[in-house]
Amino acid sequence: MKPRAAGYQYSPYGDRTQTLRQIDRYNASFTRVPASPLIPRPVTLSEQTGPIELPRRWNAGKLALSRAVENGPRAVGQLIRVSGRVTDEDGSPAAGVVMEIWQANAAGKYVHAMDDHIAPLDPNFVGQGRLVTDEDGRYEVFTVKPGAYPVLYSGWWWRPPHIHFSILGQSWMNRFITQIFFPGEPLNETDLLLNGVPSHDVRERLIFEHGDTVMGDLSYINYRRDFVLRGHRRTPELA
Amino acid sequence: MKLVVSPCNTTGPFFPREFSDGNEDLTRRDGARARGEHIILAGRVLELGAKPTWNMVLEVWQADTNGIFRHPLDPRFAEVDPGFWGWGRARTDPDGWYRFRTVLPGGDQRIPHINCAVLGIGLTRRLVTTIFFTDAPDPVFDCVPGPELRQRLIARRDPSLNADGAAGYRFDVILRGEGETPFFVD
Repeated sequence: MKPRAAGYQYSPYGDRTQTLRQIDRYNASFTRVPASPLIPRPVTLSEQTGPIELPRRWNAGKLALSRAVENGPRAVGQLIRVSGRVTDEDGSPAAGVVMEIWQANAAGKYVHAMDDHIAPLDPNFVGQGRLVTDEDGRYEVFTVKPGAYPVLYSGWWWRPPHIHFSILGQSWMNRFITQIFFPGEPLNETDLLLNGVPSHDVRERLIFEHGDTVMGDLSYINYRRDFVLRGHRRTPELA
Repeated sequence: MKLVVSPCNTTGPFFPREFSDGNEDLTRRDGARARGEHIILAGRVLELGAKPTWNMVLEVWQADTNGIFRHPLDPRFAEVDPGFWGWGRARTDPDGWYRFRTVLPGGDQRIPHINCAVLGIGLTRRLVTTIFFTDAPDPVFDCVPGPELRQRLIARRDPSLNADGAAGYRFDVILRGEGETPFFVD
């Protein structure tokens, strides 16, 4: 990966372009988000730097979630290809950075000890993995479309299908985690986390773009989502 | 033209344990052991009412024993400790405990400190704070108003956490409520 120039700048995340910190009826946000205001601080070398060796440490490269093992049986569900490009605020590629992906299976069940939902696991679906973006910041993963699932304690809340993304940039300041939803899902209308945003525009950026369908030896549906990590180069001063 | 930064969202409850496990120890890299004073950095992550949180994710980033970051922006990058990663991740157990093995960071431009981020249920955006070991002038530490709040950012020596020749330090993260940890604008 190419190191970033020292002139890289990071502005605080804007409240108008980000998910709200506290969301009505999302109870944990009222017991875990600090009551005191966040404290402004300068960004020093300590925060401008970050882990650059994670691809090697984790031996990450390409990722496919549509099978548990290479050439093994396909996981149950609708085969999809999720892809996009990761850039900084200038549109420059975030090349060679680790992306972590996790999701429920087609029945809405996670391979996770904390998932109490009575839905079947799929032996051909592990539901999580890591990849590394290419030189142009692009990523792609074949997987199956996740199912919806109930948030059992809530008594009403069903999560619409979504995929979780975690990106570890080359700086402590551009660490990024989100979840991306599917277009046209009825449950999108009632989901607390998708709708806990300040504007329609922010909401749209939490939803995949529906791409083309592909028919051939491998038939699948494309879903696309680009990500913009925080960070831009300092504007050059006029000579 | 500047692009708009993508919106963050919560990890939710199902952040894979495979992503955390094996990343709590920063002191072994490519067969080498980290130089400097090894420490156990451990504590509890508590929510409102001092209740423990389970499966919260902590990420840390710090300099090596000589105050060098494993990153090319550090002018002394070439001299960074080959046995030290600088980055780690841990998750809390049902009683809210997390635990890292790392080294006491060195200080150069800043006093010794460890950057810490908290992710998990209830947090649509990460929370960031900085763990210090002494009360001394520092451009970030100085931003925290008043000695009482600054004390909350200092990890305390705790021999009950000693393990495998490493000195124990305790740092609790109180997300909300009495004794709330100071967090920084992110």
